Amino acid sequence: MASYRGPKGGSLKYCHIFKMAASITGLLKPWTPRVILVRWSRYNPYYLEPEIQREAYSVPDTELTTEEKQQRELKELRPIKAATSGITSSVFSDPVLSKFINMIMKGGDKVLAKNIMTDTLEHVKRKQVEKYHKAPQGKGEDIECNPYTIFHQALDNCKPVIGLASIQKGGKFYQVPIPLTDNRRRFLAMKWIITECRENRHRRTHLYEKLSQELLAAFVKEGNVIKKKHELHKMAESNRAYAHYRWW
Amino acid sequence: MALQRVSFRLRQTVACARSIHTSGCRHLQEALAVEPERNPEPFSIFRTQESDPACQLENHVGQYYTLPPAHIQTVFPHGLPARFQLQMKTFNEGCVMVRPPALEVISYLKRADYSKPALRFLFYGVKGSGKTMSLCHTVHYCSTQGWLVVHIPDAHLWVKNCKELLPSSYNGSRFDQPLQATNWLRNFRVTNEQFLSKIQTRHRYVWTKREFTEEGRPLGELVDQGITRVKSSSDVVGAVIKELRLQSGQPEGCFRMAVAVDGLNALWGRSTIKKEDKSPVSIEELTLMHNLRKLVKNDWCGGAIITALSQTGSLYTPKTAYLPHVLLGEEGFDRMDPFVPVTVSNYSEKEFESCYLYYQDRQWLQHPQSRTEEGKKELVFMSNRNPSALERLCAFL
Repeated sequence: MASYRGPKGGSLKYCHIFKMAASITGLLKPWTPRVILVRWSRYNPYYLEPEIQREAYSVPDTELTTEEKQQRELKELRPIKAATSGITSSVFSDPVLSKFINMIMKGGDKVLAKNIMTDTLEHVKRKQVEKYHKAPQGKGEDIECNPYTIFHQALDNCKPVIGLASIQKGGKFYQVPIPLTDNRRRFLAMKWIITECRENRHRRTHLYEKLSQELLAAFVKEGNVIKKKHELHKMAESNRAYAHYRWW
Repeated sequence: MALQRVSFRLRQTVACARSIHTSGCRHLQEALAVEPERNPEPFSIFRTQESDPACQLENHVGQYYTLPPAHIQTVFPHGLPARFQLQMKTFNEGCVMVRPPALEVISYLKRADYSKPALRFLFYGVKGSGKTMSLCHTVHYCSTQGWLVVHIPDAHLWVKNCKELLPSSYNGSRFDQPLQATNWLRNFRVTNEQFLSKIQTRHRYVWTKREFTEEGRPLGELVDQGITRVKSSSDVVGAVIKELRLQSGQPEGCFRMAVAVDGLNALWGRSTIKKEDKSPVSIEELTLMHNLRKLVKNDWCGGAIITALSQTGSLYTPKTAYLPHVLLGEEGFDRMDPFVPVTVSNYSEKEFESCYLYYQDRQWLQHPQSRTEEGKKELVFMSNRNPSALERLCAFL
């Protein structure tokens, strides 16, 4: 039996199992799918996702269910994908925030995007904490100082409930109201916030100042992004008649 | 019934002694009905009520003391680091941690013999370890003891980014920096108001054909001359330094001088200022730096020279350099010798705890995970207990 070397050149421990599944071994060669995936993962589907959370490793064997035990044994045999540089096992990591940082990023400069985001959070927190300390005794409790809750709440306030799609019927294009998936709603909210900040401010202000102003406004349901969301809702409401053009 | 009340009070006292959060202490206050002048946080581990640096001892190490707002405006118009000023604005108070390097220098200043030449102290340490804050703490001590404080907040600012460079009228080969000099004179006036009328000039100074300052005029007039006539401000700085050096040791002068220079390595480094023909200006050719070198020399008595190194603003030095020999260079080290070197290191465990509790108290650590043990361990690891790294980490958490 020739010992099979995986695609990266590392030898696999239990190669005698692969001898049986010759077709699967064939799949581990550099895999090119029939439809070329340009932006998606180029990994062979045989590879498993890495486990990032630290807590998953501290669970002792006795507390696992049979499925989890099988999953662990499988992970000992199968190759694992490399973790991307954007994810951390830090207790402070937030997937929504990481997505937002990726959307701010230009030209692959993650360092700059992350710095902009941290400056934004610091700026928001400074404004709120200053208000808290200057407020008289009783009013301090109402002021929200946590920049993360402000960010998440502002994002939630900016998410549209319903979207529009351009559907062709009888030679004309109609704006038809359609339901949006959660991912699409989150994407639209983030995109609107970033484009609004980049375009509608004085060019000499820093992006973190613009973002912090917009996030604080969206937190209290004011600002241009909330206005844009409301306009989209109004358009969808006015085009209710075309809703039956949607076939999915 | 009385026993119940007493046990209720004792339970509250114990609860408050355990909890550091101020709200618990305020409930205790209401329960015990203490008089309103008493400080609102009697059981804080990280704060001390001793706001006079002269009375601070080793048992106060790691605790924060509050700078009185009046002192901040007079003593520190330009001395505090930018991030600390931002923190003061946010928290609505200025709190400085009592740390061993500053206490050491203050104890030396208490016991020094001021009839001998001025002692020189140098704070050095890795980037962000708290050298400038220790310097400011010592300057606060000197100010509360009634000394005259000559505080140069950052010597690096005088050797780079100079918008206006005039040839000096006093010495043709030197260059003046009117803007920096005027700015410094203004801040000097704010810090030392009470001395400006008491000290008299000993020499006659001629500024232009028609402007001169006679002997025996108060120092305030000299300083005003420099602020109003911007062109001669660098020479005024030189004159002020000369007067103060001559008079500080005198028994009838009755004032002690504290010279505080931050970024001392700028005096013996290089500058990025260029002359009109694009050739670089050496430090010797700048009037302000020339006079500053004379000030830092210990040929006068009746005071102390407290300095701090700084790699952050320095020019043409590697990022990892922090030792005096490396940053000052051969010439600088020889000129500064003999001096008392004082190491400023990262936070100890106790100081870190204190800083963590202070940030929690001021509502600065907002992330829910930052209040857990895991989050705290992560903060320790990521900042390596370096004060400025911790401050920057906690800023966005």
